[in-house]
Order: sequence, then structure tokens, then C-alpha cells
Amino acid sequence: MKRTTLAAIALAVTAGLGLTGCAGAAGPAEPQSQEGKTRLTVSVWNYEGTPEFKALFDSYEAANPSVDIEPVDILADDYPQKVTTMLAGGDTTDVLTMKNVIDYARYANNGQLQEINSVVDTVGKDNLAGIDAFDIDGKYFAAPYRQDFWLLYYNKDLFKAAGIEDPKDLTWEKYTEIAKKLSSEAEGKKVYGTYHHIWRSTVQAIAAAQNNADQNSGEYSFMQDQYNTTLDLQKSGATLDFGTAKSQKTSYRTMFETGQAAMMPMGTWYIAGILQAKKDGKSNVNWGLAPLPQKKADGKVTTFGSPTAFAVNKNAVHSDEARKFIEWAAGEEGAKAISKIGVVPALQNESVTAEYFKLDGLPTDELSKKAFIPDETALEMPVSDKSAATDKILNQEHDLIMVGERSVTDGVTEMGKRVKSEVLGK
Amino acid sequence: MTTETLEPAAAPALPQHSRGNRKQARRNTLIGWTFILPNFLGFLAFTLIPVIAAFALSFMEWTSFTAPRWVGLENFQRMFQSDTFWVALRNTVVYALGHVPLTMALALLLAMLLNRKLKGIGFFRVAIFFPYITSLVAVAVVWNMLFSPDSGPINQFLNSIGIAETPGWTSSSDWAMPAVIITSVWRDMGYYMVLYLAGLQAIPGELYEAAEVDGASPWQRFWNVTIPSLRPTTFFVVVMLTVSSFKVFDLIVVMTNGGPGRSTTVLSQLIYQEGIGEGKFGYSSAISLVLFLIVLTVTVLQFKIQQRRER
Amino acid sequence: MTNMAEDLKAEAPFAGAGLAPSPEDRRRTQERRSPRAQKKRTADLVIYGVLAVLVVALMVPFIWMVSSSLKENNQVLTVPIQWIPSEFVWSNYSDIWNRIPMMGYLQNSLYLAVIITCLQVLTGSLAAYGFSKVRFPGRDVLFLAYIGTIAVPWQAYMVPQYIMMQNLGLTNSFNALILLQAFGAFGVFLMRQYYMTIPDELCEAARIDGLSEYGIWARVILPLSKPALASLALLTFVNTWNDYMGPFIYLTSNRLWTVQLGLRSFVGQFDAEYAMIMTGSVISVIPILLIFLVGQRYFIQGIATSGMKG
Repeated sequence: MKRTTLAAIALAVTAGLGLTGCAGAAGPAEPQSQEGKTRLTVSVWNYEGTPEFKALFDSYEAANPSVDIEPVDILADDYPQKVTTMLAGGDTTDVLTMKNVIDYARYANNGQLQEINSVVDTVGKDNLAGIDAFDIDGKYFAAPYRQDFWLLYYNKDLFKAAGIEDPKDLTWEKYTEIAKKLSSEAEGKKVYGTYHHIWRSTVQAIAAAQNNADQNSGEYSFMQDQYNTTLDLQKSGATLDFGTAKSQKTSYRTMFETGQAAMMPMGTWYIAGILQAKKDGKSNVNWGLAPLPQKKADGKVTTFGSPTAFAVNKNAVHSDEARKFIEWAAGEEGAKAISKIGVVPALQNESVTAEYFKLDGLPTDELSKKAFIPDETALEMPVSDKSAATDKILNQEHDLIMVGERSVTDGVTEMGKRVKSEVLGK
Repeated sequence: MTTETLEPAAAPALPQHSRGNRKQARRNTLIGWTFILPNFLGFLAFTLIPVIAAFALSFMEWTSFTAPRWVGLENFQRMFQSDTFWVALRNTVVYALGHVPLTMALALLLAMLLNRKLKGIGFFRVAIFFPYITSLVAVAVVWNMLFSPDSGPINQFLNSIGIAETPGWTSSSDWAMPAVIITSVWRDMGYYMVLYLAGLQAIPGELYEAAEVDGASPWQRFWNVTIPSLRPTTFFVVVMLTVSSFKVFDLIVVMTNGGPGRSTTVLSQLIYQEGIGEGKFGYSSAISLVLFLIVLTVTVLQFKIQQRRER
Repeated sequence: MTNMAEDLKAEAPFAGAGLAPSPEDRRRTQERRSPRAQKKRTADLVIYGVLAVLVVALMVPFIWMVSSSLKENNQVLTVPIQWIPSEFVWSNYSDIWNRIPMMGYLQNSLYLAVIITCLQVLTGSLAAYGFSKVRFPGRDVLFLAYIGTIAVPWQAYMVPQYIMMQNLGLTNSFNALILLQAFGAFGVFLMRQYYMTIPDELCEAARIDGLSEYGIWARVILPLSKPALASLALLTFVNTWNDYMGPFIYLTSNRLWTVQLGLRSFVGQFDAEYAMIMTGSVISVIPILLIFLVGQRYFIQGIATSGMKG
């Protein structure tokens, strides 16, 4: 008897609780939009950890009191997957942030985004870094507001201690040479001359940019030199070996901030990170910026980067407001707003760059400033419907070359073979 | 002492009245369904229907943004021609062949070890369950460190017992899968131990006593009492293990992410990447249909074997 | 395909040694007292030794997790691995409550886990009774359909499922997750298998006593299946508590987030705050441990009663 009553109570309680909906929701309350304001929703990743969004939204709201921006916060890790699922369900979020150009190509080609040529024209194509990536047969479905590109971070103290002058006009040969010199081991603490993170771009995108090659071509012999350089560094112990870095999930920030690596090729997004770490007293590294090492010592700097953009959802509730927001964010006002927190805007002109270098804690030497104005910034990966599949194959083969299971020649040949048969052949 | 007499009495189910059999059958059907219905309604609406929809998608092309388009067997053709599919299928089967028997054996062993009254046994039971609740990132980092080819404790141990050619574990195509299997067995055995522990409680002590009176050795008692009595639990464990092995995803993603190369890429990763990653939902559904058919065949076989033994 | 008999044969030699303590003990009752006690003590010592070694082997990653939760973020993923923090950053454990609304996330997780577990145990054990103790046409086919769906990876049907939920207006709410996870096949399957081990004579006797089928379920079967109910509840709770993908897809508002989502919010686009993640992971393990400590007591009951007779 007792048991049946118990079961009945349990059933009643669970059913009751379950069906009263979100009664249990205990997280922070959602800000309620005020009367008479347009509520513009924007999909973002990791809102707390990505201050550029808050910087943009706050400034925009200040400039446009009639608009209330509501971020739709999505975890950074699986952002594209969640956005895809939401859109499949007919989601009506107004502005969609494009995390990378491959996703952009997919959404745009499937008619999920509104064309915004007029916005791009108003901002001006000439000044927008990375805008070419968004051109799909003369139509633009998103406008970049941020453009990260790669440069070389270096530890000034370690350079001084080894008696090496600042890394100016480096070629890859020279870079290898000083990386080896900078490596040392004292009191059980190993210092590496440089640190190459495990991403394939650290080899492949650099090679593609500096050889003006196409990573979707199915022809990859242009990567050989870059692989040989990287493997040479690894073999001589001037950089942490790939297998360890990958399996130990080595953090590039740890390597650089604790002085374990004297140099590090990395993207400009890290500037904001390292500034914060120094401000919080979590690192005392004396750092500087230099241009990425080059193939030839002709003073021309070629690097690669990837833009981040805003787009308008096909199902947006407030399409016009969304366009207005993007026009502002990609334009000078938006650029200045994110410059203030160390994020590199897509819009490049003198007043924006000047604003950027006002940043507290940024190295102000000439070399760092030069690093900031590369002559050419290639796209990390071309925009194409083949990019996602190619990317996967290049990643797998990159692994095999870096752990030493395939020779460089074999690996590069295998890449070509697989991309041709699995991606281009179809 | 024969096995039959020791087995828990097998089920002749409900009383079989010779008269009114049909009426009884109808009544049983009604009663059966009332028991099943609360769960079945939810199951039908939120699992079965979406699963059927996904299977239907395997004959279509669908990007999730536009309406699906019927393409017949095209997805399957593409799949069977794809090198990566076969690699992933092979890896998945290898993983299952390693993971299922090892986990099952160790889980049973642990359950029997912990199925006793001993001071502090609760602590040990909780400890065995720890790997399952430890953050996957921590599991991946620490195990990869243990497996480290040059300085890892595992290879140092192998060196010390005279093995010169130590494996490269997660940095090597040949050894990455064994490394993943070892880690996953380590992680999952506590989970299945819990199931075996529950199963062991259902064995009536009288059975052991009877066996003892007949002078059965511990080995015979294990073989003739424990194993037959655990058969339903074992069936459950085997099916769940097989299913979860064929669906393995999380651990591989954090530990090797399918690498080096494609050496640990498994089917569910392929389904995830092709589907929600690249928007080829028809193709990814086709892969999952194949995965489903494989697992279903295995399960039906086990079901039949179990039913025959129950009789 | 695995051959069960082969597997068990393979591991049996080990099992034989450490196995079946209860009958062993019972046999010893017939012997004289003091050597029996002595023998038992040595056996216990051996078992303690084996368990201690095992525990260390099982706890190593957890220890690293705890150690990492006491480090500065850029000290977590070092090469070589560092077991003891150079400096103990206890403030991680106070900071995390301010960095993210951890309390709210814990409550959300608890709410979901408790409701889903209750529903799963209740409906699962009901359905399992239907599948194991009532015989009717189509039963086994239906049961296979249940097991069959377990075999389909969620990644394969999550988008169709999401679209359906969206059309029902259930996305971005706890209800979506409760409906999805409370009626899974797992509980039905687990409970059915356990009920199969309960002799049908018991139900038979109860029927003769005039109990209805529902009465038998509630008064005979349920009390007998406490260990299975405990393990189902425990495993469902842990699975719901640790689930990441489900809440990630269905819970959009930050207000509804669970602990697992909250912890992932420390992962950025290019790097992650592992110290905070580990701190949060340690905190989120505590409720599971409590549940386990409570639940594991039910695993001893069968033994306790049968041991008494010896």
C-alpha cells in the first residue's frame, strides 16, 4: 500500500514539475527589453570570453538608443553546429556571426542569408580587409568586421639573453638558425627557440600564402619547403615535437607566457589575450611583434589571415535594423570600438590603426608597428564548397607528416591524390 | 549436479488456461500495453519518429536549409565508393572487438571483487566509478602522457622488462587504436561494473548452497551458478557495450580526434562531420543506417542466442 | 561479434581466484572458529591490497584534475606534466562562482537530472514489467524496436528531432530535454533484463493470492528490484548530469544552461581556461559522488540477506 502511494506521489510530482515548464530555471534572468525599443538578436560565441561582442553592442546601443541588442550566446566549440541546427528549425535570429568563411559559403550558397551589397558598398570595399572572401558571383552576403592575420610573437628578454638582435626581415632560413640558437636547457627547464602550434595552417596556410598557391587545387608540392623547415626545427629540438604537443593538448599561451618559447608564429587574436594576462599579473613576458618570416629577404611581407563577419538571416525579424547594425559594425565606428580592446578590425585606415596603437601595454617599437601592416594577407582557406572536405584531408595528412609516419614527399603526394579522388573527382 | 537444475527457473509466463485462451491472450495484450504505454508514447514521439525520419533522409539529398530531394541510392553508392567510409568502418569494428570483451570481463571481475561485505567497500566501489566521472579532458591529457612514446611511464615499464621496440601509441597509426581501446576500457569498466553488481544481487544464495552441498569447486560454482544466473544481465551488458562501441565518439574526439591520419576515425565521427558539420544530411543518414543495420544484426543474433538459452 | 562464452572463459581463471566469497565463507562456517577467522583476515588483506593498487590506477587522472584546478591557467598544460602546483591557487574555487553563475547552472542540472531520472525509472520499470512478465503478441518485435533505436547515433537524427521540437514550440526549454531523455530505451532494457532474473513463480504465487498485475509490479517486483532500480537511477543521473550535446542543442538561453554548458563557456575560439574548467569539473563531480554513496548501499542487500542464513 505504502509503495503504491509513494509511486503515485512520485508520478504526480514529476509530471507536475515537468509540465510547468521552466519553473526550475535558475540561471541569470534574461534582460527584458524596454518598451518601444527594437530588440535586435545577434548570434555570438562565448559572449563572456569574447569581449569584442560586448564592446560592439554597448557602443552601438549608446549610439542608437532605440535599439536593444540581445546576444544569443552559443559555446565557441560547436558554434557552427548549433547555428546550423537552429536555422534548420527556422530560427529567426536577426544577425548571424560567421565564424569562418567555410561556414559562410555553406549558408550563403544554400540561400540562408540575405544579400547585403548595399551595406558593403557603403562601408567601402577598398578598406575592408578580407572582403574578397565574401564575394559570391558579385554578391555579398556578409560584411567582415574583424580580420585576424598571422605574425611572429617573440620574447625580447630571451633574445637579449642570447645576444640576438630583434627578428627583423627574417627569412625561414634565418628564423631556423636563430631558433636553434635560442634553444637551451638550464636547471631542468627547457626553453624552445620557437613554438609551432599543431594546426595545419602553421605550415600549410603559410606555404600557400607565400607561394601564392591554392589549397583546393589538389597539387601540394609547394608545401614541401615549409614542411622541411618545420621538421628540421622539430628534429633539432628547437620546437616542441608535434606528437607531444598534440597529445598533451599543449597550450600555445602557456608556451609563450611562461617563457618556454622564444618565438611563436600566431594570429593577431592573441594580442588581446596576452595583454589581459599581463594586466592580471599572470605573465611577465616582455614581448614584441615581428612580421612573419618570409621566403625571400626582399622586405615584402606576405601572411595569411581569416576574417570574421556579420550576416543577416533570411528569416530575420528586423532585417533593416540588422543591416544598419552591420553597416555600423563593419564601418569606422565599429572598428574603433573593437580596436580599444585589442581586436584587429577588418576596416584598415590610418585613424583606425592610430586608435589601435593607443592600446595600453602594446609594444610600440617600430618592428611591432611594421608587423602590423603586412603587404599582403592571403586568405587562410579559399571560399568554396570543396573547402570543408579538403580541409579534413589536409588535416589528416598533416598529422602523418608531422609525427614522422610519412616522408614529406609521400605525404604531399598522398594529399594530392586524396583531394583529387575524394573531393575534386566528384 | 547439472546446469539445468541450477538455473533460475525459466519463465513459463502467465497461466495457460486451456479454455478461454483467446480471451486470456486479449487480456494479456491489454495489460501488457498499459504497462508499456507511458514509456512508449514518449519513446514513439521523440525517438522512434525522428529515427525513422532520419532513415528516410538517407535516400534524399538534404542540406537542412532547403527541401529534401529524392536521390534513391545515390548516397549509398557514394558511401561504398568512399575510402574514408571503409577506413572508419574497419576502425569501428576493431574498436568494438577490443572494447566489448575486455570491458565485459573486467567489469564482471570487478563486480565480483566488490560484491562482498568488507569495511570501506563503499569507498572502493565509488573509486572504481571515478574514471567514468572524471572530465574527459583530464582523461585524455593524463593517458596521453602515460602513453608518451619516449618518456611515458608505460614505455619505460616496457623497456624495463626487456622490450626494446616500444610502441608509439597515440603518435603512431598502428598503435593509436590499441591506446584508445585501453583508455576506454579503463574508463567504462566502472559503469558496467555497476550493472553487474546489481545483477549479482539477484542470484539467490540458495543456489550456491545447493552447489556446495553437491561438492562443487569455486570454479564450478562460478561456471554453473554465477554465469547462467547472470545471463540476462550479460545480455544487457553485451548489447549496450556493442552499441556504445559502435557509437563511440566523445573519447576519440578528445583523445586523438581520429588521428594520426585516419587511424582512429570512427563512423559516428563521420556521421557528425558529414551531417551537421558539412550539411550533407542525406549522406550522413545513409552512414547511420548502415551502422544501425550492423548493430541490429549483432543484437538480434544475441537476442536469439539468449532466448534459446533461456528455454 | 563477440562470443560471450569465450570472453568469460578467458577471464575466468582470474575470476575463479577472487570469486564467490560468500559461498566460500559459508563453507568455512563449518570449520573451527579461529583458523577460519584467521584465513578470512588474510583473504581480506589480500583483497584490500588489490583494491588499493586498483584505486590508485583509477584515480590518477582525477588527481591531475584536482591538481589542475589549483593552478594558474597557464600552468595547467605544461610539458612535462606537473603533478603538484608550484603555487596553490585556492582562489579558483571562489572565483568560479563569480565568473559564471555556477549556482544557477548546478540547480538547472539538478532539476533536469532528478526529473529525468524519476521519469525514466518509473516508466522504464513499468514497461519492463510488460516486456518481461506479461506475454502478448508482438512483444518481442516491439522490444527489438526499442533496442534498435539505441543503436542509432544521436548525431544522425538530432536535426530532424530538433525541427520537430521547434514545430511543437518546445525548444529552448527544459521540457524538450525531459521529453527526449526520460523515455529512452535504456531504462526499459535494463529493467527488463533484471526482471528476467526474478523467478516467475513469485508472480504466479502473487496471482494466486489475488493480486492484480499492477499489484504484483508494485508489491512484489519493485521491492525485489531495488539494486537494479538503484543502478538505473544512478546511471541515468550521471548520464543526464554529464550530458553536453543535448542541453547544448536545446537550451539556448543562458538562464537554462546546465553545468556542462557552463564549463564549456571557458573554451574560447582559440584557447581555453583549463584551470577554471577543472575547478568546475571537480565541483560538478561532488553531487554524483553523494548520489553514488547513497545508492551503492543497495548493492549489498542481496548478499546481506542470503549471508545471514549461512
